[in-house]
Amino acid sequence: MSNQLTAFERSDGRWGLRNHVLILPLHSAFSATARKIADDSSGAVAVSHDWSGEVDGDFDRIVKTISGFAANPNNFATIFITIGTPNELAIIELAKKIGLGKFEVLNVAELGSMSKIADIGLQMANSLLKEAKLSQRISAPWSAIKLGQECGGSDALSGITANPALGVASDRLVGLGSSSVLGETTEILGAEHLLAARAITPEIGARIVETVARYERSINYEGIDMRGAQPSRGNIEGGLTTLEEKSLGAAKKAGSAQFSGVFEYADQVINPGLYFMDTPGHDTEQLTGFAAAGINIVVFTTGRGTPTGSAIVPTIKVATNTTMASAIPDLIDLNAGTIADGIATLTDVGGELFDLILEVANGKLTKAEKGLHHEFSLSRMYNTVIR
Amino acid sequence: MLPILMRKVLILNEDDNIAVCLVELEIGEVIGQDGLNLTIQNRIPRGHKVATKAIAKDDGIIKYGERMGHATSDIKVGEHVHTHNVLGDRLSTEQSK
Repeated sequence: MSNQLTAFERSDGRWGLRNHVLILPLHSAFSATARKIADDSSGAVAVSHDWSGEVDGDFDRIVKTISGFAANPNNFATIFITIGTPNELAIIELAKKIGLGKFEVLNVAELGSMSKIADIGLQMANSLLKEAKLSQRISAPWSAIKLGQECGGSDALSGITANPALGVASDRLVGLGSSSVLGETTEILGAEHLLAARAITPEIGARIVETVARYERSINYEGIDMRGAQPSRGNIEGGLTTLEEKSLGAAKKAGSAQFSGVFEYADQVINPGLYFMDTPGHDTEQLTGFAAAGINIVVFTTGRGTPTGSAIVPTIKVATNTTMASAIPDLIDLNAGTIADGIATLTDVGGELFDLILEVANGKLTKAEKGLHHEFSLSRMYNTVIR
Repeated sequence: MLPILMRKVLILNEDDNIAVCLVELEIGEVIGQDGLNLTIQNRIPRGHKVATKAIAKDDGIIKYGERMGHATSDIKVGEHVHTHNVLGDRLSTEQSK
């Protein structure tokens, strides 16, 4: 296997590991049309969402998510479908500021009918796909890789098999100059002081602690007491004793590198190094936020075999246990359960995962890509109030 | 070192005072892999922890090379390490009861 990373260089110097043509509805009512254009085309992808222009406490978060997703460097081009309202046009303008991608706009107010949108959209998508095929992968620096770390459907083995194997691969990538991002604020509660101790400055450490404290205040405000449930009875039966132990297991995804900074949800990840991002534990919201942040590849560890994937970001599934990996091979790219079976070491599986990340970055399709898992979800913090 | 296939426990970090059991361990079983010499003191289920060093009351429990709580009683080498003899340093279920 070649050790050389190859990628698509964008005009602003960012790197894409895929070369997608994305059909992106800016209003929920265009979701079906976007899907139809993608399905009828020779390989475009589309996402659906439920935002229909409402301006409330989540407006900035939604605008940031949709525009960042459109500007992800894995997109060769993005075709927006819009009603043409100022708020929707603002999303397009923000996407252009994030990255110098190729953006096309189908405006229903100008075109006058949905069938015209579908027809013109299909021609546009096919012509962009032809253009995309002409662009070649070239040799890329390690900084081209922006890795997102995710876990979902965790089990008692997560912290000793798949998560630390991801940590080994992440450390290697960070050492080579890639970016790597740990998310899921809910999953580090109880271990944040240990992560903070690994920050390159006291200020960054304090931000990690404050990000978790802010989340804790918000759940207390909602009247939810998570502490009695952590670790859960199932966790304790499985052998997890304390909350710190559980969170340490989740945080193993981040290896042992130092933290270079903290991001808010969907902030653009630009520089090399290991970072923490404040994201929800909800798998699809986290994955969507990572894509909106410019993350171009994700490793997702799972004990239950969560199928979640992204339309534009290849998502590598790593199983924590052999039983599940053997039961649903269609969803699992790598089985780290061999560590618990005693037939492989962390170093072995971490090395295999590193090699797999490189292969997928170079174009090998993940199981989630083959299965067309194109999940997309907007993260909201507040009740929806139309003003 | 014994062949990998015969490994019954997993040491996650050389600083740890516990190892994770990869199989259910029975009383009297001897673990001799990786320079360890443990005699198992209680039945320990798969996925649970066994003390690889003597741990005094109030000493930290070290897993992954990090402190995950402290001992609430003296723990002998080979003993099961779990909620009956360990408390988290913060937000533990026991403390919130």
